[in-house]
Amino acid sequence: MARRSTMTRRNFLKNTAMGAAALGIAGRTERALAADPLYFTTWSAAVDQVKSHLAAFEQKTGVKVEYANSPWAQYRETLVTKFVGKAPIDTLWVSDSWLPEWAEAGWLVPVDQYKTLTGYNSDVDQFCVDSMTHDGKQYGITYYTDFMGFIYNGAMLEKAGIKAPPQTWDEVVEQAKIVKDKGLSQAPMLLALAQEAWLIEFLAAMIYSQGGRFTDDKGMAVMQDGKDGAVKALRWVVDAVQKHKIISPSCVETGELAALKSFSSGEHAFGLIPKYRLRTLNDPAQSKIAGNAKIALMPKGENGSHATVGWMRFYGMTPRAQADPTRAANTVKLMEWFGGRADGDYTFQKLLFKDIGAGFGVKSLFKDPEMRKLYAAYGDVEIIGQQQGLARKKDVITPWFGEWNDVNGSAWQQAVLGKVTPEQALKTSADKWNTLKKQS
Amino acid sequence: MVEIASVSPMSTIAATARRHKAAVRSSYDERSALLFVLPFAIVLFAVAVFPILYSFYISLYSLRLTRPNRVPFVGFGNYVTVLSDPQFWEAVQRTVVFSVMAVAATAIIGLLIALLLNEEFPGRRVLSALLLIPWAIPSVANGLMWKWIYDSNYGALNGALLQLGFINSYMVWLGDANKTLALIANAFVWKEVPLAAILLLVGMKTIPADLYSAAKVDGADAVRRFFHVTLPALGPSFALVMIYETMMAIRHFDLFFLLTEGGPGDASHVVAWRIYVETFRNLSFGTGAAMSYILALATLALAYIVIRMLTRRV
Repeated sequence: MARRSTMTRRNFLKNTAMGAAALGIAGRTERALAADPLYFTTWSAAVDQVKSHLAAFEQKTGVKVEYANSPWAQYRETLVTKFVGKAPIDTLWVSDSWLPEWAEAGWLVPVDQYKTLTGYNSDVDQFCVDSMTHDGKQYGITYYTDFMGFIYNGAMLEKAGIKAPPQTWDEVVEQAKIVKDKGLSQAPMLLALAQEAWLIEFLAAMIYSQGGRFTDDKGMAVMQDGKDGAVKALRWVVDAVQKHKIISPSCVETGELAALKSFSSGEHAFGLIPKYRLRTLNDPAQSKIAGNAKIALMPKGENGSHATVGWMRFYGMTPRAQADPTRAANTVKLMEWFGGRADGDYTFQKLLFKDIGAGFGVKSLFKDPEMRKLYAAYGDVEIIGQQQGLARKKDVITPWFGEWNDVNGSAWQQAVLGKVTPEQALKTSADKWNTLKKQS
Repeated sequence: MVEIASVSPMSTIAATARRHKAAVRSSYDERSALLFVLPFAIVLFAVAVFPILYSFYISLYSLRLTRPNRVPFVGFGNYVTVLSDPQFWEAVQRTVVFSVMAVAATAIIGLLIALLLNEEFPGRRVLSALLLIPWAIPSVANGLMWKWIYDSNYGALNGALLQLGFINSYMVWLGDANKTLALIANAFVWKEVPLAAILLLVGMKTIPADLYSAAKVDGADAVRRFFHVTLPALGPSFALVMIYETMMAIRHFDLFFLLTEGGPGDASHVVAWRIYVETFRNLSFGTGAAMSYILALATLALAYIVIRMLTRRV
């Protein structure tokens, strides 16, 4: 006897649910097979350029990339939260300031095994490689680099009868006094010492050029040392503010952007300004001193050199990307496409430089006629190349850098305001460093 | 007894049935009410109660976001660490100084404006409307505006003082550690005074006119009427203003972030700023949560004391 098929309400619901589940699984599997994208995260800079370069990558390789960006100001916090929440990220922009913190938390992996990436080391400045290295391992490939520049107002020096920019910090004082005495500027030297992300770069540039350091090769604090530390640099700043009155005391409330505006308004003769700002300073639409903002080598101290500080932003790789060989290979391709050569040329580095003036760490690009021509429009490419070659990485980048940086910045400001002596300020800074080092 | 005896058994049954019905309805109404309240209660628990409890739980751990694999339980260790840190007590001192300056100025200026607006004069309504502008401006816009005003290189304050001949050259404002807290308090007062004035004005409107008439008959002049009628009657409004503004001042963060970022030096390192630095810069959620709890408890205690002091007088 044939069994009669019956469709009860329970059976109907059961079958419907099973069918829906099967369709869902099939759909998900299909999507996974069709495209398991790479996840690429950046801060919100050069977004259009990144998108267009990504489109070319996808077209050439067939690898799909999910691109996301967050504002620079909240990037570290956003990314840390994403890492902790295990959000999918394969490659990302990383600042040298966060490398030890992220590497030691296990959020970044070394790229030494990928010769495609490390092969570029010979064509980039040493400080760039150093800035991407932690505990002897390299963690990425260059995105953009720059250094702290000594910028001067050529027209103002000319009016003051000064023929050449200063070579030493003593000469800066002498020339600034001349400028001030002639009534050309109330505060001839510009420093931005507000508590913000740029502060450490301003301080490090001053210290390196004075022949000092924050820490020694073993990572021990030497900033408090009168000879090899940061005392000479801080004393110079304190004297410049309080004794010579060539720097405004308001430097402690002046941030990098405010400093740029102030220098571009023609109120200063000299300034420590990130080199890439030269383009803005010489743009008539944005600056009153367009054509007169020039770069000189960083003045040197008594036992110092023309050294400055450089910084590095690079493409890092996550453990997620490395876990799967195919994903790792595709991530390396993507990192090279952006940080290295794409179709035989440093396409993205050139694009960034042309469009937004972002500096590059690639030495061969300084010889590229197109790049030289672009640089020549607003800066002395020889000096820029020479100064970049003298740049050094920050010697305080550790997992506890952020916590120490707040105390250090505050100590410098107190010395500048005359609340404590340079020695006391740097002892506070060194004590905090040693405490944090011990705790780590 | 007669009355009871006269009640028939049928009517007793009907009354019992009515009571039962009413009880059932009441129980049904309560259940319905609970059901309607439940979604909101769940949301409230999720967005308010749970985070409060969870942040307390976090404060018992050494939770640093950049050290995700090492989160030891430390009990009240974070509280001990915070309370034994001299920098925390310096921040407390600055918070007290800032709060006293800000709340006193807000209350006094608010009271003077309320007294003015309590009088009839031409343009009073326009003035009342204009008064609300600072209060209506978003906190961030307020902070940025004051940053421009105080800027030592191109600020409006220096410009105005120079043109009026009060100064010979531009002065350093926020960069001067001796002036920083007072200048931030000034920006705080500018924004908070309108609310204080309105709350006090509402309080003044509720004072019976008879009291003033009686005081006049007794020969009290305007000053005496203010001290013996207005001020005592304003007790509850004043308590509200003091408590609200004290809480706002103690917890205030926006202006410290926008104007000075805690500087120059540590001149504006108040407790709220330290909580921000510890939590969101150092990503040390354990100590950040402990600091937040200490601040919350201190605010609560202070509010209680202010209420007791001011309401006792009324």
